[in-house]
Amino acid sequence: MFASVDDVIAQFESLQYITSRTIGTVVYLATQLQKPILVEGPAGVGKTELAKVLAKALGHDLIRLQCYEGLDEPKALYEWEYAKQLLYTQILKDKISEVIGAARSLTEAVDRIATEDDVFFSDRFLLPRPLLRAITSAKPCVLLIDEIDKSDAEFEAFLLEILSDFQVSVPELGTLVARHVPMVVLTSNNAREMSDALKRRCLHLYIDFPERNHELAIVKLKVPGIDEQLASEVVSLIQRVRKLDLKKHPSISETLDWARALLLLNVHSLDHDLANETLSVILKYEADIRKAQQELKDFRELQRAKQKTPAAASATSDKDVLH
Amino acid sequence: MNEKIVEFCGLLRQNGLRVSVSESMDAMRGLGVAGLAERETVRAVLRATTVKRAVDVPTFERLFDLYFTGMGEVIKEITDGTRAALDLDPAAFQRLLDDLERFLREQGIELSPLAQALLRADAGQLERLLREAAARGQLGDIQHGLQEGKFTHALATALGLGALTGEIEGLKGMLGGLDPETGKRFGAFLDRRLQDLAEMLKSAVRQELDRQDVDRRDRQGIQALAEKSFFYLTEDEMRRMQEAVNKLAQRLKNVVTIRRKRARRGRFDSSRTLRSNLQFGGVPFRMFFDRKRKDKPQVVILCDVSDSVRNVSRFMLQFVYALQDLYSKVRSFIFVADVGEVTKLFTEHEANTALDTALTGNVINVYAHSDFGRAFRTFHREHLAAVNSRTTVIVLGDARNNYNLPHEWVLKDVQLRAKQVIWLNPENRMTWGFGDSEMDRYAPYCTIVEECRNLNQLYRVIDRLVAV
Repeated sequence: MFASVDDVIAQFESLQYITSRTIGTVVYLATQLQKPILVEGPAGVGKTELAKVLAKALGHDLIRLQCYEGLDEPKALYEWEYAKQLLYTQILKDKISEVIGAARSLTEAVDRIATEDDVFFSDRFLLPRPLLRAITSAKPCVLLIDEIDKSDAEFEAFLLEILSDFQVSVPELGTLVARHVPMVVLTSNNAREMSDALKRRCLHLYIDFPERNHELAIVKLKVPGIDEQLASEVVSLIQRVRKLDLKKHPSISETLDWARALLLLNVHSLDHDLANETLSVILKYEADIRKAQQELKDFRELQRAKQKTPAAASATSDKDVLH
Repeated sequence: MNEKIVEFCGLLRQNGLRVSVSESMDAMRGLGVAGLAERETVRAVLRATTVKRAVDVPTFERLFDLYFTGMGEVIKEITDGTRAALDLDPAAFQRLLDDLERFLREQGIELSPLAQALLRADAGQLERLLREAAARGQLGDIQHGLQEGKFTHALATALGLGALTGEIEGLKGMLGGLDPETGKRFGAFLDRRLQDLAEMLKSAVRQELDRQDVDRRDRQGIQALAEKSFFYLTEDEMRRMQEAVNKLAQRLKNVVTIRRKRARRGRFDSSRTLRSNLQFGGVPFRMFFDRKRKDKPQVVILCDVSDSVRNVSRFMLQFVYALQDLYSKVRSFIFVADVGEVTKLFTEHEANTALDTALTGNVINVYAHSDFGRAFRTFHREHLAAVNSRTTVIVLGDARNNYNLPHEWVLKDVQLRAKQVIWLNPENRMTWGFGDSEMDRYAPYCTIVEECRNLNQLYRVIDRLVAV
């Protein structure tokens, strides 16, 4: 458990995850109030990573449920292993005839079988899925429900029930109550608006692309050995590119990939041609790359102008704002 | 503090955020845990507990600043203004305050809480009193700039300005006993403070007005936009409408994929499994699941881009563009008097370039007089193969035919081949069939005929489309 907001930030940082104060506060609150966190934000800002780091910091296991269209109860909660049940009945045929052996009528035989049907609906044939595992887990755990926006509305409603009580009723076994209330993190890319009921039960955290200094700190932490100047140039350019109207904006992981790639190429300072050639690391659409190249050209001209006349540069820098 | 949070939640609600009671309770509990010491922490706690949509974050930030700094800042500013006007540095100002307090104590004068707060420059206490007065004076009911005077008056009454003026005047009368120098200083200070309070009242009312106003206009704007006919949009509205259409398409995409996936999903089919495995003596070697349904929707879109629907066709095409992204088998055509296929254009270029190319006459002559009959006949001759029993044909157009032959038999023929024919008309239903509108002739051969003049109608149509 965390002692304070600062403790959260410090512990996360020791696990190589740099957080803002907002994130730290929300995480601290969630652990104190035992509430789920709903994390929203563009792809690649470290939403999933947050849950992983949280699990590490708390020393808990991470149980992950990846949502997708068509995910349903059997896939998320539990499933009976039909095949195994059928197989067992076959193998145990003799035993079963023994049980019903002395039965005189059909009804009696069925009755006898009925007294034994517990055998077939026991833990042995139950296939626990992530949600059930989180609930029955002997140790406290962090439950990550990833990309909840991809799931259907029905599944969301079903999830509500679990999140409010942390208990599940399996008709054949009875109600299973969580021994430890798991720490739940839900992530969403906002492909679909979540229901109000779900939002009400969660603490909401919106993570956006980080600010320049923040991102610089992340790059320096995650790409050890990177040049101070190179890191700063990479981050500046990424921040500029994010302001463009692109199909897909470069995420933090792409910034890191780029920084690593440049490090691998043994580069110490980002020049124009090199940036142009390696843009494909951060941008994944042809049209985006073309746009970024144009932007890069403008940027270089701007810098040249700056070098020539510092006064004129400040006048053109307003152009930044327009992007 | 709890009261303040409840009030703040009320404020959020007024500005269109949905904050439930349990959420405001969370906010209180959260603040209890995280503490009130730091402004940023308080902000983070309130944001995490009360704001649940990313789009509401900017509104929240604005309101938070307004509410939690607003009055305190203003009071401080006004007090600083007084200090500057009296030409004192902070230390001298503090000495003045102390002197005045000593004087009051010596004279054995008991002041009202308001006068005390005012003369001690106790910003916190002043803010609290103002807030209470605002609640009593029902300041929250203010709706309009013209009511400023009225509500300032109400606030002054609730605060007890009359009594305070009396108190201060009385004090001034007693200053005669002091040496003239000190008396003058105190007098000037008292006068200033009285003015300050009036100033604070005014700012409080103005702030309340701002607070009520934040977003109200915005929200009304968006509402109105959804109902406004495509024909009468200004340029700025066009731009916002594009965003709306894009969002709509995105939403449609989600709904469609989810619905389609659900139909495709198979459940374990126990009876079939048992039956089929009888040949192995009941040992389940083969598992069976419900059969997946194969139904890939095919869409053919005919979009009118003539002059009479100029404004509309851009949105319609944008919608078409989005649809093409959505379904794998979409063929898009535009027509005026000729028909041209734009499917390839749309797949290869990004939205704006594609739309511009389509609308500026690079595909077909867009400046001709529209002739639905001829366009349909051409379509029938050249592209009928695109229509089969699984195709949904969507026609977007106003059916204004310039008194040419309508050739409705084409539509009849198309309907016979297609799964369904949908006609979306951007004109008011009342005007269909009048003048050169041939809607009445075409309508019998369409499965669905809908008026589609604004965003809300388009949304309804889409909902129906997705359902079938």
